[in-house]
Amino acid sequence: MPENLKRCVVTGLGLVCALGDDAASCAASAFSGKSGISEVKSFDTSSCYSHNGAEVGLSNEELCKDKFDRTTLLCIKAAGEAIADADLDLGSEDKQRVGVILGTCIGGADSIDKYYSDSFEGNQTDRNDILRMGASAIANNVAFYYGLNGITANIVNACAAGTMSLAGACDMIRAGKADVFLAGGCDSFSSLAYAGFHALHALSEKPCSPFNHSDGITIGEGSGVLIIESYEHAVARGAVIYCDVLGAGVSSDAYHITAPRPDGEGQMSAIRRAVDNSGVDFKDIDYINAHGTGTSKNDEAEFLSLQTLFGGRSDLSVSSTKSMTGHCLGAAGSIEAVLTVLAMKNGEVPPTSGYQAEDMDELMRKAGGIGFVANEKQAKDLKICMSNSFAFGGNNASIVFSKEARGIKSSRNNDPIYITGIGEVTGTKSEGASDYRADISPEVFKKHEVKSAFLRKLDRFSQIQLLSGIEALADAGIKVDDNNSGDIGIVIGTSDGPMTEIVNFQKLVIEKGVENGSAFMFPNTVYNAAGGYLSIFTGIKGYNITIANGFQAGLQSVMYASEAIRRGDEEIMLATGTDELTDIEKELYDNLGLTIEGGNGMVLGEGSVTLILESGASAASRGSRKYAQIAGYATARHSVPYGTAEGTEEALIRAISEAVSDAGIITSDISVIYGFSNGMEKLEEIFGDAVKKIWDNKIEIRNVRSETGEARAASATLSLARAAKELKESANDYSLAVSFGAGGIYSAVVLKKA
Amino acid sequence: MNEEIASKIKKMLVERLRIPEEELEYDSELFGEDIGLDSIDSIEIIVGLEDLFGVDMSGSGKENFQSIRTLTKYVEEHKED
Repeated sequence: MPENLKRCVVTGLGLVCALGDDAASCAASAFSGKSGISEVKSFDTSSCYSHNGAEVGLSNEELCKDKFDRTTLLCIKAAGEAIADADLDLGSEDKQRVGVILGTCIGGADSIDKYYSDSFEGNQTDRNDILRMGASAIANNVAFYYGLNGITANIVNACAAGTMSLAGACDMIRAGKADVFLAGGCDSFSSLAYAGFHALHALSEKPCSPFNHSDGITIGEGSGVLIIESYEHAVARGAVIYCDVLGAGVSSDAYHITAPRPDGEGQMSAIRRAVDNSGVDFKDIDYINAHGTGTSKNDEAEFLSLQTLFGGRSDLSVSSTKSMTGHCLGAAGSIEAVLTVLAMKNGEVPPTSGYQAEDMDELMRKAGGIGFVANEKQAKDLKICMSNSFAFGGNNASIVFSKEARGIKSSRNNDPIYITGIGEVTGTKSEGASDYRADISPEVFKKHEVKSAFLRKLDRFSQIQLLSGIEALADAGIKVDDNNSGDIGIVIGTSDGPMTEIVNFQKLVIEKGVENGSAFMFPNTVYNAAGGYLSIFTGIKGYNITIANGFQAGLQSVMYASEAIRRGDEEIMLATGTDELTDIEKELYDNLGLTIEGGNGMVLGEGSVTLILESGASAASRGSRKYAQIAGYATARHSVPYGTAEGTEEALIRAISEAVSDAGIITSDISVIYGFSNGMEKLEEIFGDAVKKIWDNKIEIRNVRSETGEARAASATLSLARAAKELKESANDYSLAVSFGAGGIYSAVVLKKA
Repeated sequence: MNEEIASKIKKMLVERLRIPEEELEYDSELFGEDIGLDSIDSIEIIVGLEDLFGVDMSGSGKENFQSIRTLTKYVEEHKED
């Protein structure tokens, strides 16, 4: 066995979905081919053409006594089971080394529905519902509930999010940023998703029938949580190990916003990357828990991908457990991971359910010799298993688990990473206006040859992200072509995502019924649509994730993007911060009481800032102009209720100290700090105290918000962009950008003169 | 061609599908080079026309979706007064 100092192991499992309230009861159903799909109970579907759903039997109060959005409550339930299963004594753990990373597609859709239903019916709206709307709140809330202070992130890549979060947890452990993660995904059963897939005619009339009738999906809800920890940490606390998590692969189709590439190229790229990063061979894979949604487009592309890569392997077992759990969207990958780990433990393959005798000949024909497991579980010694997830936006993810300890291909390097391109889209304040808004008139896009037939599909959030992405590539002199498209990736950071499109879609559903969702708007309601459009327009086919995590997501994106280069996944990464501002966001922030109009000091802005991060080798071979070097980064948190910051000063100081130490310098080496004050008294106090404590106020302070407003994640990235530009022109050696996120999370990035 | 119906359809297309108004003529080829609509847009058009005129175009032939002019003709012929 190759030496492997970076082993990540699974030591606990938690699961709640339509099949049951815990992992054991879910597994009992899944392995006996029993479906959890029944008639929808959450809302009236009598005017819809489909009435099926896979809902969890527990009410919000039964999931958890505290009040959060249902998506969060599902996760708290599953996380509690996983912690107990892992026998993880949080009381004796270093809580700063225990993180939470979750995948979600729809975030707090239930709370959005509630808030705007109250508003529509003329009832008093609840401020707490605003705080629960966004995906950003989820990991923060779960960390707060369990008192954890490690790294948190919400990966919001629609139906691939649950798999990407597991990969993200391993990446952070292998980078030394944490010891343990509560990793997984969660999504509630929402009118938003139901109305959207109904409008697209993507729901099956009958319970979904993956790899069989393939006539649409059945939506489900639930959460899967895995305790993933470093091998050393697991051994030190005497944990029982289920399996190793080997490598993962993430790719983008660069093809279509909802449909997968018919030739399966993007799916196969993710699978190849996962196999390669795992240091295994295709023939080593014993079981694949397939994406298997049950739409004709997915199933056809997936049959083709699997046949191309594994064709003729009758000893390979494949199944889609969505036939029983329904499609749980952002939770899907995590639920399937739990079932895959249990398959290895039990030596049994869960089947795809729902085949009739007359379907079997057709399955044999489509399977191309691969062992698709139908209706009944298969007893089998499983050593290495794979789970695949493919999403809207053309995002693909694949991950590999191993029952036996195995080496992974460990290629993390510490070579320099440079900022070699910057694209800035920021707002301006017109006379009499109370906020800063960006100019995104069609002429701006025509300059970059974006045709209106393409542009009109994009909501405002996607449009500003596209613009800053294109401008950053142009600034770096990068042309994406067949030779480099797989070596370039994207990490988008956002606080609020495409909230305007989500709210407009939800308002329509509230006013006109779940049967009248907009097929045009729905694809843009997923947070990763912007990353999808950017990859479609530019042709970028590499790593592609979107992180929703408060204002500081615009710096955290730099950390995740840098790690993708360090791992050797990509040569060039686009790291961004993007947040839009329309009257909808303005009203929500006013009603939260954070703006000047709402009684506090924040002046809102919007924008998108994209940084091109490039490996030293790539920068050298292209002769790239360098703005600055990424020298170090860190995220730290001190969990407090979401929407507050009181008592979190130490986390800011810790983020700065760890980033400085990551850069191999001391704080006095830094000449300039780009801060995050935005007119909110508490934040100014926290920032001021930290600067006093660390530098005794002997450091130059800059702030981009005086010119562009509080553009949230865009302001965080803009701070780093401006720090890089200043460093290039000045005699200073180091500068620093810091940012905060609601719930007590801070990120810091240190730049070095290049 | 009924100008009133045509202008309502044009307004609906501009609002629902974010087509730039100045690029949209009554004879613009909706699903071709001119405007570049796709299958998701066609679903949205069907819902929009049902909303505006109570006319159900689902399952009707592709030729009816060519332009605002052909959509107007279909609505005129199938609208119940």
